[in-house]
Amino acid sequence: MLKKLSETPSQTAGPFLHIGCTPAAIDINVFRYEIGLAPFGDISFDDVINIKGRIFDGNNEPVLDAMIETWQCDSNGNYFGYQGFARKATDFETGEYFIKTIKPDSNNDNKGSQISSYISFWIVARGMNRPLITRMYFDKKGLENNKIFKGFNIKKRLNTLLPQTKDNKNFIFDIHLQGKKETIFFEF
Amino acid sequence: MINKYQPKRNFPDYKSSIIRSPREEPLMIKLTNSEITGPMFKKEILNNSDNDLTINFSKNSEKPLGQEIFVHGFVKDENGNGLKDILIEIWQANAGGKYRHRNDTNEVSLDKNFGGCGRFITSLDGYYIFKTIEPGAYPYPNRGIEWRPKHIHFSIFGSMFLQRLVTQMYFEGDPLIKFCPMVNSIPDVNARKLLIGKLDLSKTENEKILGYRFDIILRGKDQSYFENKIEGL
Ligand SMILES: [Fe+3]
Repeated sequence: MLKKLSETPSQTAGPFLHIGCTPAAIDINVFRYEIGLAPFGDISFDDVINIKGRIFDGNNEPVLDAMIETWQCDSNGNYFGYQGFARKATDFETGEYFIKTIKPDSNNDNKGSQISSYISFWIVARGMNRPLITRMYFDKKGLENNKIFKGFNIKKRLNTLLPQTKDNKNFIFDIHLQGKKETIFFEF
Repeated sequence: MINKYQPKRNFPDYKSSIIRSPREEPLMIKLTNSEITGPMFKKEILNNSDNDLTINFSKNSEKPLGQEIFVHGFVKDENGNGLKDILIEIWQANAGGKYRHRNDTNEVSLDKNFGGCGRFITSLDGYYIFKTIEPGAYPYPNRGIEWRPKHIHFSIFGSMFLQRLVTQMYFEGDPLIKFCPMVNSIPDVNARKLLIGKLDLSKTENEKILGYRFDIILRGKDQSYFENKIEGL
């Protein structure tokens, strides 16, 4: 059998990730356009959902220099192309991120079992040597019955994967890096 | 249970990692569609000069200060196959070690001809190339003031979101590398070496530009975070 090559290790994105990833936000106008600004292009008003939130560090301070990328399927459960990808830096003053997208449908795991709908979150920042990966689920029941979580002792923390739901279009999803409310993060 | 070949999340020598790393173990779950798919980008998003940082910000075709370099290589999967259509984004400090960023407080001048960002999409065989200037080392607050070795930040989209990678390329021979807590957060000494761009005198232009070779290997579906093995270095 061929020897596998070793994967290149991760390093922190550092505090200046905006230069390469969201340059227009700091007035560097080099690229034709930035990626991840509108995950499904122009969405009709009826379909729009808004997600906002902050990332809190171990001192419960909002992280002001993080970048979040999200990846999700569409309203039919399909992942494709560049659609479904969003990228947002957290606000330099408030730490808030804001994503305007559509609600994904449930989709299947790679064995064909259904998984209730969620959006994948990928987070980098200064102080993070590796990205952190989590998910925002929409449905409490579906999350509790989700068999990918069977066998883990995380019942008390499962609600960290759920947003505060203001109405069926507006969600607040805060992420806690440490502490009593520490968010569940994933590895694969 | 740790992975020796990836940096530790909580690495106290790098102070800001302490409050920005989780204390609970990550949940190791099986791959689902959201990991084995990922956003793909088309070459239409690029301008021709996006990968030439010596001209992409300059308004009047003046060159930025510093030693011009090529940074090039291949993006491959763990079997050594080149990966096509992979978006690479880079960012870096100018020759004096200053970033064009509102939060960079180093008392060094900006270079009016240098923005510091570039992007490229790999060709059929996984090849990429950037033309830029050698970035300066810079001081930053950590345990007191410390120095970052010269580096270029890289962001790479794989062909699946599972492969998404952000890393840094260091420069062969830089004496600061061995003191860097971000490098040293990777337990395995050989894995650290994978981050070093190698001087490549074969890649030049009229013998006036230095080349550095930096290949990037993205993980495969069959590997997992906790079992990742390094072999054949
Ligand atoms: Fe840097």
